[in-house]
Amino acid sequence: MASVTIANVWKYYGKTSAVRDLNLNCNDGEFLCVLGPSGCGKSSTLRMLAGLEHISAGDILFGERRINDIPPKDRDIAMVFENYALYPHKTVYGNIANSLRLRGMSKADIQQRVQKAARMLEIDHLLDRRPGELSGGQKQRTAIGRAIVREPRLFLFDEPIAHLDAKLRAHMRVELKLMQRDLRTTMIYVTHDQLEALSMADRVAVMHEGVLQQFGPPQEVYHRPANRWVAGFVGEPPMNFLDCDLAEEGGDLCVRHPNFTTPLLPEQAQIMQAKGGGRGVTLGIRPDEIALAAEPGLHAFSGQVMITEPLGGDLLVDVILEGSKVLVKAKPNYRGGRGEVCHLTFDRERWHLFDREDGQAYF
Amino acid sequence: MIETPPRPARSLGEAVGETIGFTQEGARYLKYEAGSLNPEGSRRYYFYLMLPAIFVLACITIYPFFWLIYMSLHSVDIGGAGDMWNDFRNWTRLTRDRKFQDGWLRLAHYSVLCILFEVGIGVLLAVILNNSRFEKVLVTIFLMPMMVAPIVAGLVWYYLYNSTFGWYHWLLQSAGILGETSILGDRGTAMWGIVIVDIWQWTPLIALITLAGLKRVPRDQLEANMVDGAGAFKNFFQVTLPNLYPFLLIAILLRFMDNFRFIDAILVLTGGGPANSTKILPLYLFDISFQFFKLGRGAAIALTLLIMTIVLGLILVRVFESPAGKVNQNEEGR
Amino acid sequence: MASRDIVQYRSPGRRLLSILTVVFLAAYLVWTILPLFIMFVSSFKDLLAAFQLPEVGDWLSIGVFFDFKPTAKHYVDLFVDNNFGTYLVNSIVAAGGSAVVSVVLGSMAAYALSRIEFRGKKDLFFWIISTRMAPVVAVMVPLYAIFRGVGLVGTLPGLILAYTTFNLPFAIWMLKGFFDNVPYAIEEAAMCDGCTRFQAFRAILPLVAPGVGAFLVLCVLFAWNDFLFASIIGSGGAKTLPPATRELVQPQNIQWGKIMAAGVVTTIPMMFLGLLIRRYLVAGLTMGAVRE
Repeated sequence: MASVTIANVWKYYGKTSAVRDLNLNCNDGEFLCVLGPSGCGKSSTLRMLAGLEHISAGDILFGERRINDIPPKDRDIAMVFENYALYPHKTVYGNIANSLRLRGMSKADIQQRVQKAARMLEIDHLLDRRPGELSGGQKQRTAIGRAIVREPRLFLFDEPIAHLDAKLRAHMRVELKLMQRDLRTTMIYVTHDQLEALSMADRVAVMHEGVLQQFGPPQEVYHRPANRWVAGFVGEPPMNFLDCDLAEEGGDLCVRHPNFTTPLLPEQAQIMQAKGGGRGVTLGIRPDEIALAAEPGLHAFSGQVMITEPLGGDLLVDVILEGSKVLVKAKPNYRGGRGEVCHLTFDRERWHLFDREDGQAYF
Repeated sequence: MIETPPRPARSLGEAVGETIGFTQEGARYLKYEAGSLNPEGSRRYYFYLMLPAIFVLACITIYPFFWLIYMSLHSVDIGGAGDMWNDFRNWTRLTRDRKFQDGWLRLAHYSVLCILFEVGIGVLLAVILNNSRFEKVLVTIFLMPMMVAPIVAGLVWYYLYNSTFGWYHWLLQSAGILGETSILGDRGTAMWGIVIVDIWQWTPLIALITLAGLKRVPRDQLEANMVDGAGAFKNFFQVTLPNLYPFLLIAILLRFMDNFRFIDAILVLTGGGPANSTKILPLYLFDISFQFFKLGRGAAIALTLLIMTIVLGLILVRVFESPAGKVNQNEEGR
Repeated sequence: MASRDIVQYRSPGRRLLSILTVVFLAAYLVWTILPLFIMFVSSFKDLLAAFQLPEVGDWLSIGVFFDFKPTAKHYVDLFVDNNFGTYLVNSIVAAGGSAVVSVVLGSMAAYALSRIEFRGKKDLFFWIISTRMAPVVAVMVPLYAIFRGVGLVGTLPGLILAYTTFNLPFAIWMLKGFFDNVPYAIEEAAMCDGCTRFQAFRAILPLVAPGVGAFLVLCVLFAWNDFLFASIIGSGGAKTLPPATRELVQPQNIQWGKIMAAGVVTTIPMMFLGLLIRRYLVAGLTMGAVRE
């Protein structure tokens, strides 16, 4: 059984806590992504899974087995490091074959496995080269080869494509996802790039300052963020946040802002009445969930265009409201310019309300 | 860098500069306008800045070098009766001079023993220090032998080796290692006597160099090897040691060269005896020059010593320059 | 983020290793300190006590080493009878003088070499470094002849110049590395602001000051501990501590207490200096090959 369970795990470096009370699980054959900015504890978590760090408190189980005190070499894992960690004095073949040689496999078997892995990663023509002669992408694929040749029950990938150029990264995202599907091995993948996480993972664990923020499939993390921080971190361009009040108007519960007063949908109003009370809220809405028009419409309100950023297929418009600014993804045919008045409409199915103090999402 | 074509020399200084290659190669980089911000734009300034130091060095090193060549070709009489041209007799005598050949053998013997033990113990020490909580304190203590003047070290150990009142002699006898012999007075043990002093003084240096190297071993590689399946020992031999080679090489070469230079301790310990068993070549040179005053032959011997130093120095510089020897750069691979 | 050391897992093998490690370290510590300790203690022993040894194999009587009445007589005698005050001053002047001369001349040369390129620079460099590595015995005779011709034998300035033989190339070699680390852009900025080249050079001196200070101390260290130059070129009027210490060893009636005291006097200042420049020591001793 290659499932992984992380139960109440803490990690301290001296007095600083890097991981706090983490609870995660990963099913057999699943692609789990741990997402978060630098310093959030994701690398520490991965290193604890690998056995390169001691676990300060809590347990980690592979299947049914508690592996806290087992050294890395006995955990049946393979790891791909951020900086590849290739052995400079060995050839590509030697690098990939290293773990098999350490385990005393026969030369013929090693040859067969290495060739298979190299063919799969398209580096079989590089087997005699040294790491110093390889490009970044080739080094990375060598590092991956070193991992897959082991046929372990768990892969651990530590930001493996972070140092490649953008095009290569996009290509590798697809490659890695396909590879994981083919091999059907459990994979835990750490990254700070939310694009990687959303596109590749079966489930995403979002971490911030050592604490797990949300854990669920990518769609859920994107469309139903658990708190304001996750909402702001996931998604590019980032979500807009506006501080608002709740007010009654014309019998409906509305979101009130100096520029607009927009009623909530009935389900939403219900939730707010049950939990809301008189607290301040923050409205969150993504740039592509705001409609921009030159003429006013239903539930529309006006703002002033600050600047437009044409991106080719998209058009980003910064709109000034009273005391805040909103980024809108408009259709490329919008002709408004700097200083002009424009009319915005929120997609009320998709907007979010967060508690202003603790950031928890109402919906 | 803007390319300007070289102009004819403007002054004698520049002409001199050109002839010794200052400006030819660098002409591509030159901007001759006075006051330009390019460093090469005011070469004369830098040239003059270097001059005093180079001049002093030249006086002290080049002149003696030629003097040595001169002396080696003459029979030098310090009585003032003048030098007689000797052809190459001083040199040919060397091929028959047993003491000269023995001098090299003893030097090799001495060096090899010293380096073997210093590296063996030094590396072990470095590995232990690297993993120790008390590293800083211990290193400070281990520095001390290196601060002692070699002549003082020789004297102290001379005291310790004495068969009548020496504590090390007593220690070794009580432990059953030494018989009735005196350490420095016996041909079999005298070499060990001076080797031990060198080990005492300089093992910390090897340890410190190795320690610096250990800290530069890329951690990533060690961890990757751990995940691949290596235990601590295998990890050391497969990852750490290959990364340490340039450091060890530098350490060995430096110690080798230092063995040529420091005869202070041996002078007071054995003076080359007993029966020339510790008369390494530099010591023989010292005797010939300052006790027997055979300056012509001495000069020839000195030149052989210098040639050897230069050869070793070339090797050392080669190691500095090699990719493996870029010991002060960050790890490759990223 | 990662912990400071590589992770280690407990095993019975590791426990045994830790014990062996402690034993080895303790043994090496004793081995290192013992000669120095004996030197120090013996310097306070009068003549008879210096010769006291237990019987062979009598391990329990080791305490006999400490069984004496401490006396500072040797130290006093050194300075009163044997002129060690003069020798101490000579050592300070010669070592300090040579360090200053070497660093001043050396820093100028190092700066120049750091800023310009020319054909043959590598060869120049090799020549400079070889003068540092050359065995002194080899060049001693011609150097003596030269110095005698100029009348510098037996004088402190002569000794200072002699020490410059190895300190100057050392200074040039090491300080060039420091200047290489100071970007030329800083001088360019200074010159844009109106400085002359020399003023710009002065402007960057504070940036290399710590390194220069450290190598000043290292030069003092190498010169202070030298014996050959001092005994041959300094003989007569510029005797320093090392040859003076050696001279205390007479064929009959060796004054061990005095010798040990002289050794202590020669060594203690260098211990302090060594502690001071601890960080640069390895770099200094390996000609910059290995930096901490």
